[in-house]
Amino acid sequence: MVELNTKTILNEVFPRALKATVWGALTFLVVYCLPMMLYPTDMLPLDYATPLLQFATIAVFFAVVGQFFSDTIIGCGFGVAKAIVVIAYFFAVSDGGVFSVTLPISELTVNLAVDISIILLMVVSVNLLNIAKNLLSAIALLNEKTNNIDIT
Amino acid sequence: MKIAIRMLSIAAVILWIVILLFSVTAVYSVMNLGIDVGEVEMLPSSNGISFSLPFSITNNGYYELADLNLTTCVTDQNGTVFDITETLVPSIPRGSNVNATHTISVDLDSILSMNHVSLLLNDSSFNVEIFAGLNFARAVPVQLSTNATIPWGAPFAYFSIGTASVSSHNGTHVEGTIPVSFENHAVIDITGTLRAEVYDDSNEHIASGRADINAPSQQSYADRLLVYASQEDSSKLTGSGRMHVIFETPVFVVEWWEQYG
Repeated sequence: MVELNTKTILNEVFPRALKATVWGALTFLVVYCLPMMLYPTDMLPLDYATPLLQFATIAVFFAVVGQFFSDTIIGCGFGVAKAIVVIAYFFAVSDGGVFSVTLPISELTVNLAVDISIILLMVVSVNLLNIAKNLLSAIALLNEKTNNIDIT
Repeated sequence: MKIAIRMLSIAAVILWIVILLFSVTAVYSVMNLGIDVGEVEMLPSSNGISFSLPFSITNNGYYELADLNLTTCVTDQNGTVFDITETLVPSIPRGSNVNATHTISVDLDSILSMNHVSLLLNDSSFNVEIFAGLNFARAVPVQLSTNATIPWGAPFAYFSIGTASVSSHNGTHVEGTIPVSFENHAVIDITGTLRAEVYDDSNEHIASGRADINAPSQQSYADRLLVYASQEDSSKLTGSGRMHVIFETPVFVVEWWEQYG
């Protein structure tokens, strides 16, 4: 067991926490602030700020824990969890690939349906790749640890 | 193992970049679409009325718009389908402009053949269901649907028959003068022949007459219809009964029954 003494905190935990904080802030900037700057909410007649904030929360959380536990089995577990959560989130937000919204335009109520199945498929593919990558990383880490055991 | 992990990371990054690029350029392309919808024009056609909707689409985005399909379904208040019209634009390449017109033809003859005489006598409205679909970048199908209501002006609105006055015509017949009035709320002029057959309460034919009618659009019409009956039926003419009204134009013939007296 690794004991949490001052030396460990200074050498291991603090740099990881700092790195995780920076990554979290960067992720928030890229995932939430940049899109909101490019496409302000009054530009499109859709409430995309709420789902974007939800996605940003997920992304920031997993960016922070991913960086904090990087190069560990727990980090790989969070990587797999992130991929599964992102897949589930995109499925939920897009109603399984067909995104529907009702827009009031002057006196008419317009129903808009956008079939984003292809984009969803790409998101699922990239997250499946991430799951595979994290599983392989976990196996590699375990393998490394097994090889490092001193049996003498 | 490390090479495989590295390759998977690279593949994931490339896929993310593709997704982000496509999403950003798609939103940019949609925002740079120029859609102009003109005023709906109601025009008289050879067999009724046509509603013409001109529109133009300017594609200033990065992707082609394919299979643009505009469909309208016109129904009455009861849901009876009068017309289904489809306008197709196979492709709008990027950087190009397409002008098209969606024309809905309301065939008066077909409306009348469906026993919709009330549409001739009473103002009403049509429901128009509008469906629009297109394939964005041949990858993302988009569908729009909405409902609209079109007011319908009856060509014989407030049709009424006044009390007949009778005068002598010759030794065997009397001449009845029946005031007829209506308002033409339609967008077309009403020009044709109005024939009237007068029946008494026992459904016996007692008189008939005809008049040429010319009622411009949005104008009131009031005139006297001359009918001729035998001397012995003159009292029936001023009593009560039913009138079979037949209106004939070169395009359509319509008939209905009116109570008088």
